[in-house]
Amino acid sequence: MAEKHHWTRRRVLGTTMAGAAAAALGGKRAALAAPALQKGSKVTFWGGLIFSDKANKLLVDTVNKWGADNGIQTEAVMINQNETVQKVSAAVASNTMPDALDLSLDLLLLLSRQGQFLPLDDVYDSIGKAQGGWYAPVASSTDTSKIAGGRTGIPFGVSGNLLLRRDDLLSKAGFSKPPTTWEELAQQAAAVNKPPLFGLGLALSNVGDGNVQISVMQSYGGRIADDAGKTVTIKSDATREYLRWVKAAWDKKLFPPGNTTWDGAGDNQAYLAGQAAFIANTGSVGIAAKSQDPELYKATLYSSLPGGPKGVVSPIAPQLRAVPKSSKNPDAAKALIEHLAQPAFMNAYYEAAIYGPVLQDQAKFKAFTGGDPILAGLLDLVQKGTAPAYPDVFNAGYADMFNNFMIPKMVQRVVIDGWDLDKAMDEAQVGTQAIYDKYK
Amino acid sequence: MSQAPTPLTSRPAGLAAARQAAGRRRWSAATQDRVFAYALVAPALLLILGLVAYPFFYAIYVSFTNRVVGNDGEWIGLGNFRYLAQSAAFSSAIWNTVILVVASDALKLSIGLGLALLVNQRFPARGLFRSFLMLPWAMPAFVAYLTWRVLYQPIGGGLNLILTGTGIYSGIIDWLGQRATAMPAVIAASVWRGFPFWFVSILAALQTIPAELYEAARIDGATAWQRFRHVTFPAIRPVLIVVTLLSSIWTANSFESVWLLTQGGPSDATMIFPVLAYYGMQTQRLGEAAAVSVAMLPVLAILVLVATALMQKDDEA
Amino acid sequence: MIGRNAARDDAAPPGARGRWIAGRALTYAVLLAAVALVLLPIYWMAITSLKLPREIYRVPSLWPQTITFNNYRILFEDKDFVLAIRNSLIVSFAVTLISVFISSLAAYSMVRFRYRFRGLFGRVILFAYLTPTSLLFIPLSILMARLGLGNSLHGLILVYLTFSLPLSTWLLQGYFRSVPRELEEQGMIDGLSRFGALFRIVVPLSAPGIAAVSIFTFTGAWNELLLALVLITSESQRTAPLALNYLITSDVLPWGPLMAGAVVSSLPLMILYFVAQHYMVQGMTAGSVKG
Repeated sequence: MAEKHHWTRRRVLGTTMAGAAAAALGGKRAALAAPALQKGSKVTFWGGLIFSDKANKLLVDTVNKWGADNGIQTEAVMINQNETVQKVSAAVASNTMPDALDLSLDLLLLLSRQGQFLPLDDVYDSIGKAQGGWYAPVASSTDTSKIAGGRTGIPFGVSGNLLLRRDDLLSKAGFSKPPTTWEELAQQAAAVNKPPLFGLGLALSNVGDGNVQISVMQSYGGRIADDAGKTVTIKSDATREYLRWVKAAWDKKLFPPGNTTWDGAGDNQAYLAGQAAFIANTGSVGIAAKSQDPELYKATLYSSLPGGPKGVVSPIAPQLRAVPKSSKNPDAAKALIEHLAQPAFMNAYYEAAIYGPVLQDQAKFKAFTGGDPILAGLLDLVQKGTAPAYPDVFNAGYADMFNNFMIPKMVQRVVIDGWDLDKAMDEAQVGTQAIYDKYK
Repeated sequence: MSQAPTPLTSRPAGLAAARQAAGRRRWSAATQDRVFAYALVAPALLLILGLVAYPFFYAIYVSFTNRVVGNDGEWIGLGNFRYLAQSAAFSSAIWNTVILVVASDALKLSIGLGLALLVNQRFPARGLFRSFLMLPWAMPAFVAYLTWRVLYQPIGGGLNLILTGTGIYSGIIDWLGQRATAMPAVIAASVWRGFPFWFVSILAALQTIPAELYEAARIDGATAWQRFRHVTFPAIRPVLIVVTLLSSIWTANSFESVWLLTQGGPSDATMIFPVLAYYGMQTQRLGEAAAVSVAMLPVLAILVLVATALMQKDDEA
Repeated sequence: MIGRNAARDDAAPPGARGRWIAGRALTYAVLLAAVALVLLPIYWMAITSLKLPREIYRVPSLWPQTITFNNYRILFEDKDFVLAIRNSLIVSFAVTLISVFISSLAAYSMVRFRYRFRGLFGRVILFAYLTPTSLLFIPLSILMARLGLGNSLHGLILVYLTFSLPLSTWLLQGYFRSVPRELEEQGMIDGLSRFGALFRIVVPLSAPGIAAVSIFTFTGAWNELLLALVLITSESQRTAPLALNYLITSDVLPWGPLMAGAVVSSLPLMILYFVAQHYMVQGMTAGSVKG
């Protein structure tokens, strides 16, 4: 990371913040019983490159500062999260994994099953004890003990979906409160639906946003599989009920055109273009609007995802740090991960990033109490959200179903091909069972 | 041509004489040529074998295993193929890949050939036209397809803006979001990006045709079509074969166009093999991803065999 | 013996003057239409790169309302795009030179000689080409790691030969085939060696083809993304497409800087095209080698 950089305002800002954070940490570090680290040894770290330049810079600077303080040579590279899967696949195969890296829960579970990561129970426990304990859904969903003989990932942030709404339009139509059920959402959406503004900016395409439909289906009582996570149970009355809801909204033309082939940016684009009254988003749109379109930012309010007859299903997506077994410097890697969990740094990081907290004490951070509606929404998500896949079991079959977009595809059969609900459910049921059968 | 010794040509008597006069006689001329021929082809062959042979056979081997990232897995025979064969996306992928390759090849051929013939005439500013026509190739593919995505947007997209602005059609056309237009839209974008390859290749071949041949044909009273049929076409035929082959391979293996435009949707209307393989990669199921690509190999292999046979026939003609 | 180009229309008989004018008008009309279609997406990129973010989303229009160069500033000042362009130039030039040279030899061998395995070699080269990149990247990264070439431009150059060599070998075969053998043989009778015949006669005569092949090789290397993504980790080694890809960090696309990057990174290619143009037309003059 020693390239010539132009000293832009942003960079100066980031460095100053990192300095402040590091200084604040100075006192605390002595308290940690750090193992003696080998001076002059090297640690490579792959951080997850995120939307906020400030957060990225802060992370890199903090890692390098830690290295300088401990006499350890650090190489912190930010890896584009959109490409982590390819990058990590190749690195595992060619044995060029870094000493520590950021990754999603999905990828952590996949690789932990193959015994790729070191157990980090000591680090996990020590961080948890120092900061008021881990949030329950975070703790339960990231527990790899059964598949890897220990906890392999240290959570550092949580993302998930918030419901963004155009308050300017909705309050005029008499809706000052956010919708609490999907039915209500459709009603409010219908009330403001006036092309080229469409009420329901939800994706029905083969991307992560399209998989929000799984949560909707589950909140109607639909399930992917049984409690053992083996027999697929997509075809059910509850799923049919859910499909009726989608179909009705589709027939009323509440969805913006194109939403069956949107990419990950589709809903954001529609929202930023003023073509959608509601979208479900991680909050990045809010940040983008804040700097690019202040008017829209002011008109936007945030709430948690609505629920169905079976309550709210709003899965959290934990982000974690892990140490590959191939690391030649595991002690230093673990010390670094522990260092990166320190409150002063995390507070500064959360202020710039769009992650919810993972530890109880982090709820008191200024980042979350400072009045930022997106961060407050993310705090709320962690406190009320559900574990990934809940009420289903987050196993390999589920992850495969998720990555192959079986539920959005089922919906596409209904709205694009005009299949009747049972035929679409049959296809999804058979196809998903075939996926689950691969992991018997 | 009959079986002359190497080289392929009917060798004028003078050549052998010249060789002998040069006094290099340790090997016979034929052996010398053969050694020379092997030596010329060796660097390319070694590099390609060294870099691709292993990955190529690796892919075929892996397609018969349940390998995932971080675990070599074990031999499961046709397991991956059986799983694929039952999946709805796979059967869509077969047809869509064929349609995409055939349709875009046909369009690129007609557009590329047509434009190359036009630009090959002598007229003012043709250099400028030539350069403009190559521009799509100059754009990084993923940015180009992202731009097409924006152009296809139902509301505020360039295409619909133009249709509305010119009064041709004022409704909202959801180019990528419906079955009827999704595949044509993908084909159009891929033709836009791919035709310069045909255009430039054919143009370069046209440039090598001696003008005398056309004049001779004209003197013989040949019509424009006869001139094309008997002078132009034979000269560009070898290049056309190669270009068709390479372009088919590219299109069949191209991932970015479909991925960035539709992710294979809506409802698998644009699902093609490389995108399906990508879904397999996302779950780190290397075996399955390899099987998707391997399933496509026989078709491409037949293409290669046909093309090489055609080129060999050219040699012997 | 060979004219500059196939200028069929120059000698049109006087009676056909009207038809000639109509033909010329039609030519221009068709070409202008084609250029317009080709330029539409490029025009869209260019104007988007000059727009303010809000305008990109909120007021989609066929021309910008206010022009800003801020996107370019972000690209060069915040993102160090010059370094990426430099890396791309190094890689693409190296790949083009190596690839065109090696494949000229191979193509010549396969076109001019008949020997055992000739057909097989040709097919092997093509079969190698059939493996999709999505499958290649894992084995190739293993290979590069073993060679100690991971995360380096050298490794990238080597890897790019996997797709540029088959392409240029095969295309060059097509062009070499169209060079009349008699010319070469005449040259050899006049005292040229085989090498001499290749570089003094065949290569100059196929100059338009070689120019075309160089364009393809260079462009292919210039725009490659997937392998660079997997093989390159350090910021200092990133190529232009990779740097552009790293602009997209989440689910909100930075259209302005992205399009500015597309415009900037296509400039070197445009220059190359104009230069190569020159050779494509000039090539034939070399053809007047006495035969």
